Amino acid sequence: MVLGLGNPLMADDGIGVELVERLAQEAGRYPAADIIDAGTGGMSVLHMIEGRRKAILIDSAHMGETPGTIRRFTPEEVRSAKILAHQSLHEADLLRVLTLAEQLGQAPETMVIFGIQPQVVEPRQGVSGILLDRVDHYLTEIRSELERSAG
Amino acid sequence: MAKTVNINVHHVTRVEGHGNIVVNATNGKVEKVQWQVPEAPRFFEAMVRGRSYEDIQTIVSRICGICSITHSLASTKAVENALGIKVSEQADKVRILMHYSEQLQSHVLHVGYLVSPDLFGLPSVVPLAAKAPEVVMAVIRLHRLANEWSDLIAGRTTHPVTLTPGGLTKFPTEKELRGLQERLKNAVPDLKAVAEAVLSAASAIPNFTRETEYISLKQDNPPTYTFYHGDITSTDYDGAVSIHDWQSVANEYMNDQSTAKWTKWHRDSYTVGALARFNNNAELLSPLANDVAKMLGLAKGCCNPFMNSVAQIVECVHVVETSIGMIDELLTAGIKPENVKVSPKAGKASGCVEAPRGILFHQYEFDRKGNCVGADICIPTNQNHAAIQQDFEKFVPEILDEGEDAVRLKLEMLVRSYDPCISCSTHMLNVEFVR
Repeated sequence: MVLGLGNPLMADDGIGVELVERLAQEAGRYPAADIIDAGTGGMSVLHMIEGRRKAILIDSAHMGETPGTIRRFTPEEVRSAKILAHQSLHEADLLRVLTLAEQLGQAPETMVIFGIQPQVVEPRQGVSGILLDRVDHYLTEIRSELERSAG
Repeated sequence: MAKTVNINVHHVTRVEGHGNIVVNATNGKVEKVQWQVPEAPRFFEAMVRGRSYEDIQTIVSRICGICSITHSLASTKAVENALGIKVSEQADKVRILMHYSEQLQSHVLHVGYLVSPDLFGLPSVVPLAAKAPEVVMAVIRLHRLANEWSDLIAGRTTHPVTLTPGGLTKFPTEKELRGLQERLKNAVPDLKAVAEAVLSAASAIPNFTRETEYISLKQDNPPTYTFYHGDITSTDYDGAVSIHDWQSVANEYMNDQSTAKWTKWHRDSYTVGALARFNNNAELLSPLANDVAKMLGLAKGCCNPFMNSVAQIVECVHVVETSIGMIDELLTAGIKPENVKVSPKAGKASGCVEAPRGILFHQYEFDRKGNCVGADICIPTNQNHAAIQQDFEKFVPEILDEGEDAVRLKLEMLVRSYDPCISCSTHMLNVEFVR
């Protein structure tokens, strides 16, 4: 399965959703894969990935890279630098959700994250031009991951 | 023992809800205690101006990603009140079922993922999953059930699409309702397991009380532990105020330490939420919910804000048990198709429902074409800010001797117990590469 995460009302945070919307148009090429807009799914991602063989997650990520950079990594390769207040249900950390899924034996065998370094995250619709210009490149990366999965 | 404590829990991250805790104490003397909310305003009341009455719920649902059904219901009821639209008994029941799914979803998330690590002395739900996997699995099953229950009745988990002024665009089939009922019956053991887990850790709930005014809905006809119909009542007030006069209850005002508005009625602050509903309506709980309240030592008149999470567990049981009965009523009557026809006219009115975290007010005014010319929304978390501040002022001197770390943890736990909904913004990743 492919999950696109993010909030399209927060500029580049919406890149994951933008990419799965485009991928969904060619869903016929990947009959074994579900392509899902998970939005700011938070804990619900736990239910979405349960029982899946492989999950490919696409999200904007602060990685200390130049804006527009895409990186492929697994949950084990990174550490969350996000500060959680634990005060409100309105915060979730994808990495923590994935760790929880592993703890509970509900995680897919393979989990791959495509992180895209945002240029701007602020309340507005639409992804920055610098990211939009690279959408084809991002899709190529994700397609080859999907093809590897099918093979 | 004289203590010097300086706490500044400052959530500078722009990606989440902001709430700061500030405590300064020198040699045992408390100099400053503040609950600050520096969240930016979001202008939803301006966004709906000029929009058709048909669009309101779709827009204001986005106020919150946890209680989107609640905002949709409050706004839809306000629109119906303003335009004089009546709703069938069948639609009313199905909406309440929809609303219950969100109460379960939100409460399970809050108690299961945010509060339970505190009770077991762990930093988050992840280590809790290693320590008590069966409890965490029960929480996850309940959360999933609540999500799929919302999917069925509201059209999707978050931001309902089946609500429309006058009724619903789609009703669940009788077969779907029977399936849901079966799942709700099967969820009872999980609810009991969560309640028992909380009981086993109950000694971790701080013993703190402060005389508090609790405000919630109250429904007399028929008497109901209500989340949806009724008037406004309070533990300081014997009567009931019409929901259309909510501004005279909330008395919103500005405060220097917060960008959010604060509220007060008979005292300098009041509290809303599960504990408020319980304190006003406990005798109307379903039988099993009543048993769970007794088991967990929750009694009417409780003024310990930490017990709000316990009241949420009681309400989880109540909504599941009540829904099983409501589905029986719907199936007995049979689901009938409805064709809703609404014509716009000028009007102004309010709508009120109980969000999982407390009473919620929406008010709209429409011109004769049904376009919105004014809106006023008062959310539960804002109604709790003054109470959190007053709790801080009483609680900090009581625990100052326990040292900075304990004071910080307990104040964070206190804020969490109110289940605040400070903002709903982005949820992006922030990572460092370790390999």
